[in-house]
Amino acid sequence: MTDPTSPGSQRDWNALSDDEFRQEAASFFAQQVPAHLKFLSRRPRWAEVRDWYLTLSRHGWLVPAWPVEHGGMGLSQSKALVYVEELERSGAPRVMDQGLMNLGPVLIARGTEEQRRRFLPKILSGEHTWCQGYSEPNAGSDLASLRTEARIEGDEFVINGQKIWTSVAFDATHMFALVRTDKSVKKQAGISFVMIDMKQPGVTVRPIRNIAGHEELCEVFLDDVRTPLVNLVGELNGGWQVAKALLGFERVWSGSPRQSTLALLRLQRFAQATGKMADPVFRDRYTQITMDVLDAASAYERFAQIMRTGGSFGFEVSMLKIWATETCQRVTELLVEAAGDLGGLSGEVDVEGDSMDILYPFLDCRAFTIYGGSSQVQRNILAKNVLDLPS
Amino acid sequence: MSTQASSTMADSDAEQLTMLRESAMDVVQRGANMKHLRERRGTLPGYDPAYLRQMAELGWLGLLVPEAHGGLGLGLTEMAALLQELGKGLMADPLPAVALATRVLVHCPQWAAAGGHLAALARGEALPAVAWQEGLGGIDPAAISTAAKPEGTGWRLSGRKRFVVGAAGAAGFIVSARNADACGLFWISKDAPGLSLEHEWRADQTPIGVLALDGVAVAAADVISAPGGHGLQGLQRAIDETAVLASAEMLGVMEASLQMTLAYLRTRVQFGQPIGSFQALQHKAADLYVQQELVRAVLQDALRGLAPGQDALTAASVASRCKARASDAGLRTLREVIQLHGAIGYTDEHDAGLYLKRALALSAWLGNASAHRARFAALQEQSATS
Repeated sequence: MTDPTSPGSQRDWNALSDDEFRQEAASFFAQQVPAHLKFLSRRPRWAEVRDWYLTLSRHGWLVPAWPVEHGGMGLSQSKALVYVEELERSGAPRVMDQGLMNLGPVLIARGTEEQRRRFLPKILSGEHTWCQGYSEPNAGSDLASLRTEARIEGDEFVINGQKIWTSVAFDATHMFALVRTDKSVKKQAGISFVMIDMKQPGVTVRPIRNIAGHEELCEVFLDDVRTPLVNLVGELNGGWQVAKALLGFERVWSGSPRQSTLALLRLQRFAQATGKMADPVFRDRYTQITMDVLDAASAYERFAQIMRTGGSFGFEVSMLKIWATETCQRVTELLVEAAGDLGGLSGEVDVEGDSMDILYPFLDCRAFTIYGGSSQVQRNILAKNVLDLPS
Repeated sequence: MSTQASSTMADSDAEQLTMLRESAMDVVQRGANMKHLRERRGTLPGYDPAYLRQMAELGWLGLLVPEAHGGLGLGLTEMAALLQELGKGLMADPLPAVALATRVLVHCPQWAAAGGHLAALARGEALPAVAWQEGLGGIDPAAISTAAKPEGTGWRLSGRKRFVVGAAGAAGFIVSARNADACGLFWISKDAPGLSLEHEWRADQTPIGVLALDGVAVAAADVISAPGGHGLQGLQRAIDETAVLASAEMLGVMEASLQMTLAYLRTRVQFGQPIGSFQALQHKAADLYVQQELVRAVLQDALRGLAPGQDALTAASVASRCKARASDAGLRTLREVIQLHGAIGYTDEHDAGLYLKRALALSAWLGNASAHRARFAALQEQSATS
C-alpha cells in the first residue's frame, strides 16, 4: 500500500491506471479535506481556505495538470479529469484557482523562462493569488470589444479602464488581464495579455452582490495602474490567441453534470421529506428530469472518453455546456415549483423537520448559462462552426 | 502484453465497424430512391425483394447470427452502426424486424430448432417475425391474453396479436401466449391452419401485421419455451436490445434530416439573405444538434450497458433511457424540420415528410418516450428496494 500523503511530485502518477489513480485521489481527499469546509453552499474567502490550499501544496496535490518540473502532478488529461471529479465528490471547497487553472498553463505554454521562474513558485506557495480580468461593462459576450487601455511609457504599461464580473478580486494579489494595446486594427488584433499587481495605487475593487445574496463577483477599476513590460505574456497585440488557447479542458469541464447531479439530489431530498413522490404528476416530471441529467452524464462521458484516449474535438463540445447548464436550471425550477408555498420563502426553511434553502440553487444557477460563453453564444458557435450556417 | 493484445483486438473491431459503415453508406448512396419508396407505400411486403437478397449477400441479415449458424456473429454495436447508416436513406427495412427475431432466437438456445431458423434467416430464405403485442400495445411482454392450452404433447393457441413488424414477408411467427400462470413462446408457420394475417399501416405506410389465432395447433417440437420457461425473459431482453437498435436507426433519420435542413437553410433566400443567417433559425438548428448528440451519447452508453456481463437492471434502465431520448429527440427534430422548411416541407412531394413518418413509426415502435419513462421510473424503484 502506498502512502497517499507522500509528495505528489515524487510519484509517477501516470504509471497507475485511471481506476487506481481514482482510488488514490479519493482516499487522499477523504483524509485531507477539512470537515468544516465540505459542501459549502457559497464560495469561501481566501482566509478560510488558505490552510487547505497549503495542505494541497505541501503534499504535491495542488496542481494536477502542470508538468512535474514546475511543481505539478504531471497528470495526463484523463487523470486530471479524474482528479477534478474526485475533488468535487469529496466536497472540497473551491480555492483561489485562477493561477492554478489558467495563468499557470498560459505561462508554461507561452510565458518566458523568467516569467515562469518569478510567478509559478509563488502560485504554489499561495503568496500570489490571481483573478481574471476579461469582461468589461461593454464587453461581455462580445469580449473582443474590450476598451481597458494599456499605453507604453518607458519600460512600463500604464493601464486605464474597468473590468467587471471578476470573481473574488478582493482576495487576489494579482490580475491577468486582456487590455487594448492597439486601437487602429481589427478589434481582436489589438489586444494584449498582461499581468498586473493589484496592490498598488489606482486599483479599486468593489464587490457586487449577486441575486443569491453572495458577494463573489467584483468590479475592478484601473486608474493609471502600472505594470512592467516584462509582464506581457506572449506577443504584443497577441493576447487574443493567448486567451483562446486556454479553452479545451475548461470547455469540457463547464459541461460536466456535477451541478445538475447535486441539484437533483436536493430535489430528491425534498421529495422524500414531503412525500411528493406519491404525486404522479410530480413523479413523471421528476423521472423526466432525472433522465435528462443522466443523458447529460452520457454526453459528458463521451467527450471525457475522447480526452482520455488522447483524441481531440472542436466546437461541437459547446453542446455539453448548453445541455448541462440548462438541465441544471430545469432541476432547480422543478424544485421551486414542487415546493409550492415554500418556493416563495427565502433562506433556510423548515421542510417537515428538514431544513433546506429552496431558492438558493435556483438563483445560483442563473449564472451558469451566462458565464463562460452564454447559452446563446454557445448556440451561435454551433451554428457557425459546426452546422456551417451563414452569417 | 495483455494491453497490446486487447488494443489489437479493439483496433480490428474498430476497423470492421468502419468497413461496415462504409459499405452501408455505399448502398445508401447508390440505392436510396425516394420515388420507389413512395411507390411502395401501402403495398406488401413493404420492401423490395431484390434489396432483401442484397442484404443476405452482404451478410447483413445474418449479422447478429452466430457464425456456427452461418451468420457473421457480430454484436449489437455493429448492427446499430448499420441501422444508423441505413436510416439515413430510409433503407433499414426489413432489418429491424429481423434483428428482433434474431435476438429472441439467440436468447432461446434451448429450443432445438433455433439454429435452423437462424441459418435460414441469415440466408434470407425464411424470415421469422415476432408477435408479442396485443390490443393497444404497450411494452410489458407479459401483459397479454392470447391463451395457450396444453393438448397432447403440444399446445393450442387462441387470440389476436397486433403490431407484428415484418409480418408480410415472414415465413413464420414467434408467438407469445400464456396459460393461467405464465407466458411461453411458440413457433407458428405462416400456413398453419387457424392462423390468419391482416395488415395495418404504419405512419410511413409500411405494413404491420395483425394475427388472428383460432385454435392453432403447436407441436411439441415447435415450443420455443413452454409457459414458465426462460422464453419471456429472453423476449424482454430482445425487446430492450431492439429498442436500442431502433434508436440507432432514429439517429440516422435525425442526422440525414438535419443535414437536409441545414442545406436548405444555407440556400433558401428571403429578405435578401439566406434564412440560415437568421439567429432564430440558427438557434433552433443548434438545439436540434444538441438533441442529436445526446442520442449519440446515450446510444453509446446503452450499447455498453447491453454488453455481456452487465447486470440486468442496469441494462434495462439504460435501454429505456436510450429509447426515450431517441423517440423524443427524433420527433422533436422532425417536427422542426418541417417547420424550418416552411410550406414546401408540408407537401407530400418533399422528402421531409418521409423522414417525419419514419420517425413517427420508430418513435412508437417498442415503446415511445412516455412508455419508457414510466418503465425507467419503475426500474429505479425496483433498484432502490432491491
